Amino acid sequence: MDVGLFGQYVANGLMLGVIYAMVAVGFTLFFGVLDVIKFSHGDVLTAGAFAGLATYGGLQALGFASPAVQLLIMLLVAVAAMAFLGALIAKYLVLPLRTAPPLNTLLLTLMLGAALRECVRLFYPQGANPKPFPRLLPQDAVALGSFMLRLDNALLLLGGLAAIAAVHFVITRTKLGLAIRAVAQDAETARIMGIDFERVVLLTFALGSGLAALAGIMNGLYYSEINFSIGLLLGVIGFSAAVVGGLGNIYGAILGGFLFAGLQTAGAVLLPALLPQLPSAYKDVFAFAAVIAFMAWRPTGLIAEKTAERV
Amino acid sequence: MAALLGIEGISVGYDRADVLRDVSLAVEAGSITCILGSNGSGKSTLIRAILGLTPPRRGRIVLDGADIAGLPTHAIVARGVACIPEGRRVFPKLTVAENLRLGAYRETREARIRSRMDKVFAIFPRLAERAGQLAGTMSGGEQAMISIGRGLMPEPRLLLVDEPSLGLSPLLVKENFAVIRRANEMGITLLLVEQNVRQTLAIAHSGYVLSQGRVVASGSAPELAQSAEVHQAYFG
Ligand SMILES: Nc1ncnc2c1ncn2[C@@H]1O[C@H](COP(=O)(O)OP(=O)(O)OP(=O)(O)O)[C@@H](O)[C@H]1O
Ligand SMILES: [Mg+2]
Repeated sequence: MDVGLFGQYVANGLMLGVIYAMVAVGFTLFFGVLDVIKFSHGDVLTAGAFAGLATYGGLQALGFASPAVQLLIMLLVAVAAMAFLGALIAKYLVLPLRTAPPLNTLLLTLMLGAALRECVRLFYPQGANPKPFPRLLPQDAVALGSFMLRLDNALLLLGGLAAIAAVHFVITRTKLGLAIRAVAQDAETARIMGIDFERVVLLTFALGSGLAALAGIMNGLYYSEINFSIGLLLGVIGFSAAVVGGLGNIYGAILGGFLFAGLQTAGAVLLPALLPQLPSAYKDVFAFAAVIAFMAWRPTGLIAEKTAERV
Repeated sequence: MAALLGIEGISVGYDRADVLRDVSLAVEAGSITCILGSNGSGKSTLIRAILGLTPPRRGRIVLDGADIAGLPTHAIVARGVACIPEGRRVFPKLTVAENLRLGAYRETREARIRSRMDKVFAIFPRLAERAGQLAGTMSGGEQAMISIGRGLMPEPRLLLVDEPSLGLSPLLVKENFAVIRRANEMGITLLLVEQNVRQTLAIAHSGYVLSQGRVVASGSAPELAQSAEVHQAYFG
C-alpha cells in the first residue's frame, strides 16, 4: 500500500474514532450516574445534526453568509438544544423509572429513539431523503508526500479531540465532575455529602447529549451529508465502544471508540486483501464480530468499572 | 439549653411495617446525645430519617425551629447537618483528598476548604501522608479516619455519627472517641450511635435507648449507665 493511501486510512480511522469516542462517552456517563443504558442516545445525535442543519438554513435565510459565524451559531444552537433535550429525557423518562427494573428504562429509551428518528423523518422537510450538509470548513488540502491532508478533516479531528479533552477536564478537574464521580460510585453517600442528586443527573445527561450533538454535526461536516438514520449505527457503535471500554469508565469509552474505528479500518484494508470477493462494506461485520469475540474473552471490558449486573 | 434538633413523634418505615414507631427525642445544642440499642432496633433508620434519606411517614423533625421532614437530603445538609454513615462509605475510587473535599461540598470558598482539610490532616496525620491515594486501597482503620474526617470537613452544626468504631482495634476506637469529644468541644453538636456502651456513656451528656423501634429509656449519661433498660438492650 502506498503512503498516501495509508495516510488516508489512518486519517479516516482517527476521524471515526473521535466521533465514536464522543458518542461512547455519553453512554458511559449515563451508565455511571444512573446505571442505565439510554438507547435514544444515537437519535439525539441525529436530532442534533438536524438542529444544526435547520439553524444553517435559518441563518442563510437571514443573510448571515460568513461560514465561521454560521458554524459557530449552528454549534451553539445544536449543542444547547440537545443538552436541554437530554436533561428533559432524564427528568421525565429516566429518573421516574429509577425504581423500576432497568429493562424498562432500556425499552422506553429504545422507543423514544425510534420516535425521535421518525419525527425527524416525518417533520423535517423531505426528512426521509439524505440531506446535503454545508461545507463550512476550509476545503484546502496540504500535500504531505503523496498524502493529501485536507484542512477541514484536520480541523474536525482537532475539534473532536478538544471536545473530548474538555469533557475529561470537567469530569476530573471541576466540582461538577467530582460530584458526577461521587454519584457514580455511591449515589446515597453522595447525597449525604450535600450533592443535589437530581441536578447532577440532569447536568450529566445534558453534557452527554450536547456532546452527541457535536458528534452529529462533525459527522455531517465530514461526510457532507446526513440522514434521519445516522444515529442508529452511530448509537450501536458508540454503545459497543463504551461496553468494550468498560461501561462507566471514561478512558475506556474513548479507547473503545478508537479501537472500534481501528477495527473497521483494519477490516476495510484487510478484508479485500484477504478475500477479494468481499466488498469493503463488510468492515462493520468484521468490527462487530471482533467486538463480540472480545466481549466473550473479557466480559467487563478493557477497564472494569462496575459490574454490569443491571444491564 | 435549647434543643438544636427536636424529633416529634416520627414513624419511619421502608416497605410495609414501620421500623420506628412514634419516636420523640431532643438533641440539645452543644451536647453529645447518644442512641443506644441492640442490632436492628432502628438506630440507623433514625439517622436516615433525619437526613431525609428515608423520610418519616408521620411526625416532625425540627431543626432550629424549622420542620425539615420531607426536605431533600441536600437541603437538610445545607442547613448544617452532616453524617459519618454506618459502614464508613468512603468513595473507593476517589483519592483521600477528594473524599475530604466532598465532605465540604456545600462550601464554595476554596480557602476554607483548604484550612479545614489542614485541620483534618492535623487530627489524622496518616491521611496527609496518603492524600493522593485511592480511598478504596486504604486499610479499614484508615477508611474510618477518612469517613470521620469527611464528616468534620463541613464544620456542621449537627453531626450524625453511626458506629464509626465498628471493626476497629481498641486503640483506634479510643482515638476515635477522643476525636469525637474534641469535635464537640469545638462546638459541634453530636448525635452518636455506638455499640461501645461504656465508652459512649463516658463522653455523652445524655441519651436514648431504642428497642424494636421505640424509645424505651432516656436520661443523662450517668442515669443511663445505671439503667436496667440499657443492660437489657445490650446484655440480654
Ligand atoms: N433498606 C431497608 N429496607 C427494608 N428494611 C430495612 C432497611 N434498612 C433497615 N431495615 C430494617 O429496619 C430495621 C432497623 O434497622 P436499622 O439498620 O435501623 O437498625 P440498627 O439499629 O442500625 O442496627 P445495627 O446496630 O445492626 O446497625 C431492621 O429490622 C432492618 O431489617
Ligand atoms: Mg445501624
